[in-house]
Amino acid sequence: MTPRIVTATLAVRLRSFYRERSTVFFTLAFPVILVLVFGMIFTRPEQLKFDLPVQDNSGSLLSAALLSGLTQGDAFVITQVPTDVDAAAYARENKLTLLLVIPKQLGLPPGASAAGEGGGTPAAAGAELTYIFDPSSTSVNTKIQLLNVVIGRINQQLAGVPPVITLAPVSILPKRYRFIEFFVPGIIAMAIMTSSLSNALNMNAELRQKGIMRKLATTPVTRTDWLVSSILYQCILGALSTGMILVVAYAAFGVRLRLDAWLVVIVALEIVVFVGIGMLLTPLAKEAESASAVTNAVLFPMMFLSGTFFPVEMMPGFLQAFARVLPLYYVNEALRAAMIFADTTSVLRSIGITAAFAAVAFVAGTLQTRWGSEEKT
Amino acid sequence: MPLPRNWPGCSGVSATMSSSGSAIVVERLCKRYGTLLAVDDVSFAVAKGELFAFLGPNGAGKTTTVEVIQTSRPATSGRVMVLGMDVARQKSEVVKRIGVLPQGFSSFDRLTVRETLQYYAKIFSSRIDINTLMDLTDLRGKAEVQFKTLSGGLKQRVGIAAALVNDPEVVFLDEPTTGLDPHARREVWEALKGLKSRGKTIFLTTHYMEEAEFLADTVAIIAKGRIIAVGSPTGLTERHADHLRLTLKMRHPRAPGEGDRESMRSAPEIVRSMGFRSAAAPDDAICVPVDSAEDVRRILAELHAAGVEMRDIDVRKPNLEEVFLKLTGDTAVGTVNRASAAGVAI
Repeated sequence: MTPRIVTATLAVRLRSFYRERSTVFFTLAFPVILVLVFGMIFTRPEQLKFDLPVQDNSGSLLSAALLSGLTQGDAFVITQVPTDVDAAAYARENKLTLLLVIPKQLGLPPGASAAGEGGGTPAAAGAELTYIFDPSSTSVNTKIQLLNVVIGRINQQLAGVPPVITLAPVSILPKRYRFIEFFVPGIIAMAIMTSSLSNALNMNAELRQKGIMRKLATTPVTRTDWLVSSILYQCILGALSTGMILVVAYAAFGVRLRLDAWLVVIVALEIVVFVGIGMLLTPLAKEAESASAVTNAVLFPMMFLSGTFFPVEMMPGFLQAFARVLPLYYVNEALRAAMIFADTTSVLRSIGITAAFAAVAFVAGTLQTRWGSEEKT
Repeated sequence: MPLPRNWPGCSGVSATMSSSGSAIVVERLCKRYGTLLAVDDVSFAVAKGELFAFLGPNGAGKTTTVEVIQTSRPATSGRVMVLGMDVARQKSEVVKRIGVLPQGFSSFDRLTVRETLQYYAKIFSSRIDINTLMDLTDLRGKAEVQFKTLSGGLKQRVGIAAALVNDPEVVFLDEPTTGLDPHARREVWEALKGLKSRGKTIFLTTHYMEEAEFLADTVAIIAKGRIIAVGSPTGLTERHADHLRLTLKMRHPRAPGEGDRESMRSAPEIVRSMGFRSAAAPDDAICVPVDSAEDVRRILAELHAAGVEMRDIDVRKPNLEEVFLKLTGDTAVGTVNRASAAGVAI
């Protein structure tokens, strides 16, 4: 290996990359756009809020207390429904999934509502609230459960009895994590895989097709020089791409991820894995066109089955088993273990498996890479 | 079907090889792809400072032979020496002293001409002045243009310039003018003549006969993987041209019954009566293959005596193209017979 040749070749590749706008877009901008789009779709405020239309037929102090109880803790956002309409018809017309009806007698002095029945607290009067709901809605059950919990709490407060049993949460994670924090490591792994594999495959196929390899084979450039410059080129692109994804994820969504040396190690190993796989697949892709077909055939199953966009645990058992033979699965596991869970044991296990993939792919890829025109075309 | 072990011509390699004064010596070179013997027992030498043209029909083994010589393809058997070095053992030394324009040269699309040449200069750690190199190949005006946008002729000139960055002693050019228009082809020819005048040894692969005739000191013709003729263009033409070609154009062929009896005999009849063959050619002409200038004189005298009036006379030696067609045509038949006798499909 000659450092002079490696740096000259690296400079040529970086310059070509910079001048090819579509490559810049797909390598750097595309993953960032994915992060922005998916982040906006799936990131919700930490506390979920539901709309709750209420028809308050009572207008009493008690109903006001009830409504303020419902909005407490940001559980519900109350909208008032006119009292002069039929609640069920109104809900149907306005496509409301859940509508709470407060009866007229709620909060009336005991004498006013049921003369002669004697004293007792308003709660003890046993006022019945009605909710009108749309059973075809998928989210309505969650809302009803939440409504029951909140009403229960209000009842208890009105009764003035402190709770006998309470619950305190203890998470297995050092902190809560959101979907975007799960998603960002997946996108980093995907971006590195895509650029490493497609560059190794497309660029070699293109250079071979165009005869540049034939020319280089008659110069002092060796196969090792070429491979080392390829890996360095990928490392620079990988660092750029990862950096951009993280900057955008921090700026737009305020993600909280651990950024340490593990990230660098995992990304570097992933580059070696996919450059190696790219070299292995080069004989299948003699022309630039077939190269992109081969690239996609590898990329898409890898992307969707390795837990890039959603946890592997959501898939049926046999697909989960299949995911466990894909290198990207272990890259995702390692990145999430390092960036979200800070779980060193798990990081080391996944890195070990990724490194094994890297060694096999790289050695096999190198062995079968032909330099110059040894293949009869 | 498996290849016979003792494939003709691929057995041993003789140890006699004289490389003094030779830039390239190829001895008993064979290259096989599976069952296809692409180069079959090829031997030749290229003298220092000469322009050597390697001719052959498509698929004859030209490029394979050149690629073995320029170190980008290993030989199956045989020995190739370039500047006294064995290409199989001293590849890294050989590549520093040769320059190569591969067939269908292409380069990095997005690099300018200057950047392309700077890259090649860097990998050879050559201190050549890029401006001088661009002047030599007439590329100065295109220095800042990206390779992608250059015309075919300009791309070839970049390829030639890239082959010269290390000031090589031997320059290999594989079909440098294929696909170029006549004007661009002339420009490449001028560039090659310029190189030759600077003392470079040039190994030119081509299938254009006029290119070889115009430029080459020595021509080797390869067909079906075998060298079938080597020599200077004129030498080859003289050696393989067993005849001159006499073309006679008659003035106003006479109508029957006109003139005296003697002149009634037509020129083809007279020529045939003298024992020559004649063939009709366009524009009332006849074409007669003859052995010598003496034959030409005798025919003309006989026709003159017979009162046949000539409008035009042309005596021509066959050119390299005719020699090539004659030789490669013969060899094609011979090789097919030999291959089928060995039971191998080519």
